[in-house]
Amino acid sequence: MKVLVLGAGISGHTAALLLRRKLSKAHEVIVISPNARWNWIPSNIWVGVGAMTPKDVTFELAPIYQRAKIQFHQAKAMEIYPEGDKDSKSPFVMAESTVSDNQGEKIRVEYDYLINATGPKLNFAATPGLGPDQGNSVSVCTAEHAEEASHQVNALIEKMKAGEKKTFVVGTGHGLCTCEGAAFEYTFNLDFTLRHHGVRDKAKIVYLSNEAELGDFGVGGLHFRMGGFVNPSRVFAESFFVERGVDWIIGAHVEKVEPGKIFYETLDGAKDELSFDFAMLLPPFTGVPMKAFDASGGEITEKLFTPSHFMKVDADYQSKAYEDWAPDDWPKTYQSCYDNIFSIGIAFAPPHQISQPRKSKNGTPITPAPPRTGMPSAIMGRVVASSIVDMINGVSVKPTHAASMAELGAACVASAGAHPLNGSAVSMTMYPIVQDFTKYPESGRSLDYTTGEVGLSGHWIKKLLHYAFIYKAKALPFWWMIPE
Amino acid sequence: MSIQEANKYHAPKPTPWTLFLRYFLPWQIFRFVIINIRMTFMILKSHGRKLKPVKKK
Repeated sequence: MKVLVLGAGISGHTAALLLRRKLSKAHEVIVISPNARWNWIPSNIWVGVGAMTPKDVTFELAPIYQRAKIQFHQAKAMEIYPEGDKDSKSPFVMAESTVSDNQGEKIRVEYDYLINATGPKLNFAATPGLGPDQGNSVSVCTAEHAEEASHQVNALIEKMKAGEKKTFVVGTGHGLCTCEGAAFEYTFNLDFTLRHHGVRDKAKIVYLSNEAELGDFGVGGLHFRMGGFVNPSRVFAESFFVERGVDWIIGAHVEKVEPGKIFYETLDGAKDELSFDFAMLLPPFTGVPMKAFDASGGEITEKLFTPSHFMKVDADYQSKAYEDWAPDDWPKTYQSCYDNIFSIGIAFAPPHQISQPRKSKNGTPITPAPPRTGMPSAIMGRVVASSIVDMINGVSVKPTHAASMAELGAACVASAGAHPLNGSAVSMTMYPIVQDFTKYPESGRSLDYTTGEVGLSGHWIKKLLHYAFIYKAKALPFWWMIPE
Repeated sequence: MSIQEANKYHAPKPTPWTLFLRYFLPWQIFRFVIINIRMTFMILKSHGRKLKPVKKK
């Protein structure tokens, strides 16, 4: 049997390594990814302030896959033929090579099982002027983007040392962005770096976010027990912003970014401008656009994908009011309408947001999209790999493992400064990721397992995770003992 | 919603004792152990669940 994995990010790479470990050598594991290098994305925020280099957070995939006996094609998947075509009934994927020597060369890869883990398309085009390539802002979504951000920060530090005052804006570049946690981390690493260089008094830092309140993080906020009270994460986050002197604008949709100026609308319908010298704004995501065709060549893209190119899986996609959202809406096995196609990580279509959806008074949607990166992504990779192994080995004809985001918890460590003695991070756990107000009427989550605290130990944990997960991704001895 | 200036906003602020503990090595080593235990529990609770196999008819 051939198992094809599209994408070699956190979820796809985890699935490919586990499949290779659990399947006998009679079966093939094949990975198609447009990127030659693997990137531990959670550490990109450190590259963005110069605390790490791109080399520290990336490595070449080809030698790892060669050692692990996984076939690797450096290519971009373009089309899926789940029923084969008129010449062959074997399902296959058409991809285009991204290797510079034979760029664009078409590759046909047949499969028995397919995992779509293509991750996000960084949709900078959704906001005019957004992004580092054709726009006026920077990002930390890739190691190269983060390095460019670091160069800009360093140049501004030199100017501030000469006495100039500068404005830094960090946040989300569209009303429907996700990964607010990354923007939070970058904000406080920037604050830490500027303090370290002795120029914090010359800098105004503004956090600009689509969250309706600080501490929402795209999961509707959290509640922690602290000091004899159950506190919302809003209080926790506001305290942190005030302590570090970071201003904020929330409930914001960025309309366009001109050189040195951001135009935005907020939930109350007001439109305003913000001048900046440096802007790190995250883009909204779509799925990676792919087309699908049936055996006769008819297009069936709508059957497999949503209009935003995320793959439909075993979720409840009926449109519902916020009050009617239920944990059962969320997918469990990540199996699509084809029994042998699965989708994991950012590539699967969530049924709806986790945070309450909101629109501005002008009707502009301003709502964080649900985060599904890091730990949950890797766990999806594990459960889908385990199900496929059981299906191939004849244990079951249906998936044998489930991991709904309404049943999974997450451990998140949000860095607020990288230094072994002066650094800090917010260490959070939440359970479950998607609120379940039936089980936990008070806040939607278990107060025993939802926690948060700030301290130096959080920085040590973040650094430990950096090395542990890169070790694991390199498939070095006993890699499989490190949990997701 | 215009810009909220941090220095004009009244939020709970950490006491000097809290700030001291955030960087006090013995306390942070202890917290490192506690947070790791807490995260291990979370990981153990969050690796999905097994479903009943369905045999081919």
